[in-house]
Amino acid sequence: MGARLALSLMGGSVLAFLLAPILFVIPMSFSSSMVFELIPTQPGLEQYHRFFASSEWMLALFLSFQVAIGAMLVATCLGTLSALGLVRVRHRWRPVIEAFLISPRIVPSIVFAVASYYLYSQVGLVGSVTGLVLAHAVLAFPFVVVLVTSALYSFDRSLEEASKSLGAGPIRTFFRITFPHIRLAVFGGALFAFNVSFDEVVVTLFISGVRTKTLPVKVWDAILYEITPILPAISALIIVASLLMLSPVLFFYRRRSSI
Amino acid sequence: MPPPGARDLSKLYLLGPPLVFLGLVFAFPLVQVIWGSFFAPEFTVQYYARMVRVSVYAQVFWITFKISALTTLFCLLLGYATAYFLASLPPYRRQLALLCVVVPFFISLLVRNYIWMILLGRNGLVNSWLLTWSVISQPLELMYNELGVLIAMVHMLLPYMIFPILSALLAIPPELIHASGSLGAGALRTFIRITLPLSLPGVAAGVLLVFIVALGFFITPALLGGPKQMMISNLIEFNIRQVLNWPFGFALSNTLLSGTLLLYFLYVRLLKGRLPAVGFP
Repeated sequence: MGARLALSLMGGSVLAFLLAPILFVIPMSFSSSMVFELIPTQPGLEQYHRFFASSEWMLALFLSFQVAIGAMLVATCLGTLSALGLVRVRHRWRPVIEAFLISPRIVPSIVFAVASYYLYSQVGLVGSVTGLVLAHAVLAFPFVVVLVTSALYSFDRSLEEASKSLGAGPIRTFFRITFPHIRLAVFGGALFAFNVSFDEVVVTLFISGVRTKTLPVKVWDAILYEITPILPAISALIIVASLLMLSPVLFFYRRRSSI
Repeated sequence: MPPPGARDLSKLYLLGPPLVFLGLVFAFPLVQVIWGSFFAPEFTVQYYARMVRVSVYAQVFWITFKISALTTLFCLLLGYATAYFLASLPPYRRQLALLCVVVPFFISLLVRNYIWMILLGRNGLVNSWLLTWSVISQPLELMYNELGVLIAMVHMLLPYMIFPILSALLAIPPELIHASGSLGAGALRTFIRITLPLSLPGVAAGVLLVFIVALGFFITPALLGGPKQMMISNLIEFNIRQVLNWPFGFALSNTLLSGTLLLYFLYVRLLKGRLPAVGFP
C-alpha cells in the first residue's frame, strides 16, 4: 500500500510540475505593478490594455496572423496532396518518400534556420512575408501529412474506384467521396499548421527583418532587451489562444486514440 | 484496372507539387549549407578541423552532450514513474490526468521558457516564496546556470518520454500481471520480471526521442543558461548572426544535422514494428 501511495504522490507531483507553471502566468497577467507578483495586489487589465494599444505589438500580431494563415493554406494543400499521393505508392521507395516528407520535423530548427537564411540572403527573401510563409509552411507540412495519411488508411479506397467507374472525374471523386471522409484530419492538420507557424521563433529569428517581426520574435526581443510587465499578459493570451484552437483537435483525438 | 503507366502518372501529379516545394525550400538550402562548409570557395576541411582543434568548441560539444544526457536521465526517471502511475489509473481518470501532459505540450516553447524565467529568476516567484517562508535567507541561483536549463528542458521534454512509455505499458496484457501474481510473485518481482522488460521498447523510444530533440535545443540554453551552458545551436547562431563566420557556422550545423539523423535512423531501425503507435510526433 505504501508503494502505491508513493507512486501516486510521485506521478501527481510530476503532473503538477508539468501543468502548474503554465497556470501561474494567468493571475500574474492581471498585475498592474512593475514587479512580478503571483496574486496581484491591484488586479486590473492594464497590461492587456497596453498590449492592444501599442501599434508595435499590434503590427507584430497582425503579421503573425498573416504569416500563419498563409503557411496554413500552403501546408494544408500540399500536405493533403502528398498524403493522397503517398497512400497510392506501392513501390519500395515509399518509406523513403515518407521519411523525406516528414523530415522537416526531424531536422533541428537551428539547422533549417541557417539554411533558409543562407538561401534567402541570396534571393532577397530575408525580411519578406513570402519567405516567412514558405519556411513556416515547410515546418507545418509534416503535421498535415501524418494526420491525413492516417485518416486515409482507415478509408476504403474501393469507394474511389466505384466513383470513377460510375463516371466521376478525379476532382469530383475527391470532393464527393474522399474529402468528406478525411475532412476532420484536414481541418485538424490546418489547425496544427496554424499553431506551428504562430509559435515559431528560431527560424523566424533568422529570416525576419527589422520591419517584419512576428509576435514570438517581438516577445523574444522583449525578454532579452527590456523587462516589461506586459509579457505575462501576452503569454496568457498566447496560452488561451493555443488552447482554444487545439481543443477541438484534442477532443476529437482523445475519443479515437487508445491513450 | 487502369494500365500501370497511368497510375504512376497520377501519383506524380499528386506527389509532384509537394516534392518540388520541399525540394526547393527545404532540401536545396540544406545541400547548399553542406556545400558551403566545404567550398569557401576552394575545397577545404579547415572548418571541420577547427571544431576538433580549438578546445572551446570541443567544450561546447561536451556541454551539449552532457546537458542532453542529464535531461534524458531525469526525463526517464520522472517519466517512467508518471507513465506507470497513469497506466494504473482507470481509463476515464487517465484521460483527465493526461491533459496535464498534453496541454503544456501544445503551448508555445517560447512562452514556457519565459514562464520558467519568471519562476526561477533571482527575484522570481520560487525565490520570493522561499524567502517569505524563511526556508532560505539568501536568494538561490536557480537561473543562468545548468540547473535552470535542466529544469526547463525536463519540463519541455517530459511528454516525449511519457507518451511512448505509457503506450508500451498499456500494451502489456493484464492477464500476464494476474498470472504472475497468482503464481506467487510479489508486486516488485512482477514488475521486474514482467512489466519492466515489456516496457523497454517504450523506454528506448522515449530515451532516443528526448535525447535527439535535446541536442538541437536553442531557446532554453539561450534564455535560462549562462555562458557556460552554450549548446551547439547557440554556437551556430553566434557564428552565423554575430561574428558572421558563415562557413564555420555551416560546418557546425552539418555536424548537428548528421548526429541527429544518425540517431534518428537508429531510432527507426531499433523500434520498427516493436511499438504501438506513439502518436505525435
